[in-house]
Amino acid sequence: MKFIISFILIFNILYAHPHTFIEVYPTITVKNKMMQKIHFVWKMDEMTSSMLIMEFDLDSNGKIDKIEQQYIHENYFSTLIDYNFYTDITINNKITKFPNPKNFKAFIENNKICYSFEIDKKLNIHKTIFDFGDTDFFIAMILKKEFTKIIGATAVVSDLDNDFYFGYRLELK
Amino acid sequence: MSELYNHLLKQIVTFQYQLNSYISTTIRNLNDENILSTSLLVLGIAFLYGLIHAAGPGHGKALVAFYFVSNKSNYKKAFKMGYMISVIHAISALIFTFGIFYILKTMFRKNFNEMSGIAMQVSAVMIIFVGLYLIYEAYKSKKVKELEIKPSSKSEYAVAFSAGIVPCPGVMTIVLFCIILKQYLLGILAAITMSIGMGLTISVAGILSILFSKKAGSFLDTKGYILEIFGGLLIFLLGIFLFTSVGHK
Repeated sequence: MKFIISFILIFNILYAHPHTFIEVYPTITVKNKMMQKIHFVWKMDEMTSSMLIMEFDLDSNGKIDKIEQQYIHENYFSTLIDYNFYTDITINNKITKFPNPKNFKAFIENNKICYSFEIDKKLNIHKTIFDFGDTDFFIAMILKKEFTKIIGATAVVSDLDNDFYFGYRLELK
Repeated sequence: MSELYNHLLKQIVTFQYQLNSYISTTIRNLNDENILSTSLLVLGIAFLYGLIHAAGPGHGKALVAFYFVSNKSNYKKAFKMGYMISVIHAISALIFTFGIFYILKTMFRKNFNEMSGIAMQVSAVMIIFVGLYLIYEAYKSKKVKELEIKPSSKSEYAVAFSAGIVPCPGVMTIVLFCIILKQYLLGILAAITMSIGMGLTISVAGILSILFSKKAGSFLDTKGYILEIFGGLLIFLLGIFLFTSVGHK
């Protein structure tokens, strides 16, 4: 039996493993236990960024211009809806569809490609949990306590206990 | 078990995250004055990165494990298999990276994703055939009552090639990063050292499954063909799983 379990385990976690690392920087403003403003910045690792910059920065001016922004949004960022933007938002113990991100902006900072976007939704801090991770495990989402900026509440960052991929959980107290 | 596995996964991710950042910073700091020491440092980190990177899910460890658990073999063969996979893995990554970079230049990532998907499907079909071949061999050996079955080197090469043909995105990323910074030789050497690290980890997967087979020794001596058919079947299913997974992406 152990033999079968071991192989089923290997079988399931077969071929994905993180190749891209994204640091998640959440900034959340809380008022009366309700989240008023939810803003995320994703910073990709330098090696992945070098590939993306080569494709995104068409005029090689070291900046992401308006047309380039649009291209990234349409061809890269929007497609992440299929992956729920690597973020599961659990409200009242139910995983919800990721709300349509607003005010998307891509920029280059310290040779890294960064995505900045907001969620326009008022959420109760006691009934909401954010889980960051890629179920395919091709991307590793990295969240540290020092990456969070919470105004009006306290962030609690913990490991996300999944069987086949690794992630982080953010709760507000 | 799940908690232990999750902890292990966290460590693998954390190490890779740190090494990934360290390797890119080190390559970027390369200059005429520190070229030798920094290059050696990069190669050292690349070896370590390969070792840990291959410990995560993937890289044909399951295939190697299935193969050795169902075929009597020795540790030397496990090392040979591990290194064959990693060498093919690295060559494939180098060809893909240099090819795509110089032929297509732009749309690198998109093309890489597409080509990687095609390579994965080719690999999956090959794995299916390897599984069918192993089942056939086991059935044949049962018929002629050959209890001492030696896996043919043909099937070993087939297993290594099936697993290795998918280029490792980890190796590709480092090579491409070096190309962008015009450190071509360092890119090739980093791919080689990373592959040496990966080969070691894949070999360990083979050795562990040989150990397992040895524990089931008496069973193997009498009803070995059942385990061989089971191993072949697992490899076959592995191929089907890979093929359908890639098709869904």
